[in-house]
Amino acid sequence: MSLIPLILYAAAGVVYAVHFVRRQPGVGRAATTLLLLAALSHTFVIGMQTMEVRHVPIANMSRAVSSFVWMLALSYLYLEMTTDERAMGVFVLPLLVGLQAIPVLSPGVENADPLFDSPWFWVHVASLLFAYASFALAAMLGLTYVLQFKEIKKKQLGYFYTRLPSLHILDAMNSRAVVIGWVFLTIGVVVGVVWASQARALNPGNANLQEMSLNDPKIFIALVSWAVYSFEMLARRTLGWTGRRSAWMSALGFAIILLNFLPVNYFVTTSHTFQ
Amino acid sequence: MHLILLGVSHKTAPVDLRERLDFSSRDLGAAVEALATRPSTAESVVLSTCNRSEIYVASDDPFRAREDVTGFLSEYHGLELDVFMPHVFAHSDEAAARHLFRVAAGLDSIIVGEPQILGQVKDAFQKASERRCTGPILTKLFHWSFGVGKRVRSETALGEGAVSISFAAVALARKIFGRLDGRRVVVIGAGEISTLTAEHLRAQGVGEILITSRTAASADVLASAVNGRAVGWDGAMTALATADIVVTATGSQRPILTRAHVEAAAGRRRLDPLFLIDLAVPRDVDPAVGDLEQVFLYNIDDLQLIVQENLSRRVAEIQHAEAIVSEELVKFASWQRSRGVVPTVVALRQRFDAIRRGELKRLDGKLAGLSPEALAKVDEVTRLIIEKLLLDPTEQLKALPDEETQVAYTEAVNRLFRLRANESTSEVPDASPGIRPTDPRRP
Repeated sequence: MSLIPLILYAAAGVVYAVHFVRRQPGVGRAATTLLLLAALSHTFVIGMQTMEVRHVPIANMSRAVSSFVWMLALSYLYLEMTTDERAMGVFVLPLLVGLQAIPVLSPGVENADPLFDSPWFWVHVASLLFAYASFALAAMLGLTYVLQFKEIKKKQLGYFYTRLPSLHILDAMNSRAVVIGWVFLTIGVVVGVVWASQARALNPGNANLQEMSLNDPKIFIALVSWAVYSFEMLARRTLGWTGRRSAWMSALGFAIILLNFLPVNYFVTTSHTFQ
Repeated sequence: MHLILLGVSHKTAPVDLRERLDFSSRDLGAAVEALATRPSTAESVVLSTCNRSEIYVASDDPFRAREDVTGFLSEYHGLELDVFMPHVFAHSDEAAARHLFRVAAGLDSIIVGEPQILGQVKDAFQKASERRCTGPILTKLFHWSFGVGKRVRSETALGEGAVSISFAAVALARKIFGRLDGRRVVVIGAGEISTLTAEHLRAQGVGEILITSRTAASADVLASAVNGRAVGWDGAMTALATADIVVTATGSQRPILTRAHVEAAAGRRRLDPLFLIDLAVPRDVDPAVGDLEQVFLYNIDDLQLIVQENLSRRVAEIQHAEAIVSEELVKFASWQRSRGVVPTVVALRQRFDAIRRGELKRLDGKLAGLSPEALAKVDEVTRLIIEKLLLDPTEQLKALPDEETQVAYTEAVNRLFRLRANESTSEVPDASPGIRPTDPRRP
């Protein structure tokens, strides 16, 4: 079922690329329309899954990835509509397509542990997914900032120079995305801690819950990424680390998050295994 | 109806003659109104910019119209014919339309793709239209040319990229800072090129402009021209700490802005980008300054290179733009041709309707017993039959591919339905007016 959004995301990705190269307004509108259709069909898929398991489908890893892709698509659409700037699509869409391939290739089975009936659990997961989506956008903005910065600095005004928004705008959007992501990351972590300690008291026999501590790589790395983004925000305000430095920080932060989201999640974590 | 174009442009006439034939400095509306008083040039538009003066006319009598236009030019500007006629170019019909489309697209400008010309074409049409000097042909032609101009601008890169050094500098600044409102500018050296750049920056809405120069007087002059403030050298160096854009253009033989200067300021300014525009030859800014992290340093050669690249990129787009012009010209020509069949279509319709009414009249006695509703129904049904019968032939006539076929077909229709005969003998009752060409100003 996740295949239809994947196909639409891929089609939108192709059209965004064509728009990036040719810069024809009509192609740009077609790209946005396709992405909108993809997001709608994705909303439908997630809605169906929600009705099926009677909660938002994020307790299974593949479905969590799918929900993350959905939020990223919506956040990007919001960004595009508020800034009227389509050039970022060509960077964001490959990420959507790559990640959406995961639920298509390994759908997995939704975990219906009664443990997850707590609303705190849903706030925890949804906040983190939304934070990750914001950080993904921040990383893409950072990447494009660096590409364009290099072109202007080296006086080789070329491909990106004619297509991307100004450095100032990229930097400002990056800053906004990091702040939003940081707020949701913080909420997600705090709610997670509260929920885990409550649940641990109520479910003394649950091995997962007993494992939850800083010794779990997943939790530890989440806190590392929190530290990276906190530093980025602090450095921007106190040390004047804007532009290129904060762009690199966002890329670093998101690399850590991707590491946490995929390999760590599948292979290393000791407490966040809910299969 | 024929299109006639006569004019002079930078390609055919030297500047002094263009100046003498210029309409834009005087009242353009009055000029076009004066031209339109002649019957053969009743539908006219005068386009006048510093690079061209062109007169577009739609007329049934092209020879007469051409003479009227040259006569008008001579009278209006008080010039003998032989002074300007060798420089006048003339086009008619499709060639005239192509010329206007190319002008609107910016293809005929000195700097290809320059943006002002489309506005000037619109303005010329509006002036003529306000004075009721335009008719269906020129209205269609000019509206079509606006569309061509827009298409070329949105579908090609013909108008993209700055093609002067000061604009290239401003474009770079915008790429670094986004909108320039409130940005702080320091200008060192108040020469011609820094004045030009400062004016462009001011037009972009920058905040404070501080100007320093070896001669305080020239700094004052520039300051008042761009609404800035003249300061001394020390003041300018202090301002470096908070400036976003620095323009240098002094006559100094050695670099006046060293890495030490900028580093001293950078300590306070942290990592906010600083855009240094060095327009001086020899250079005013030590090239080592460009190695600093957030400094973007461009000298006059760098900017010149950008201008060259932009120009060649524009030239590369010309073909693309010409293709759009040709494409639109084909569409316009087919619209114009479809107008050629209009009299025949109208005549055919009138002929059919006359027959219908004749028959209804003949049956008057027999239909008298019907109720008013039934009578209206009969009227409507007969009318609908005619509409349906005429629908296909009308569309087919309008869609004929070339003029020759069109003449043959209209001739055939005229003969088959005796349309010409009707006009002369008026054997059909109720010869309603219509086929005769009406006042060209009133479509």
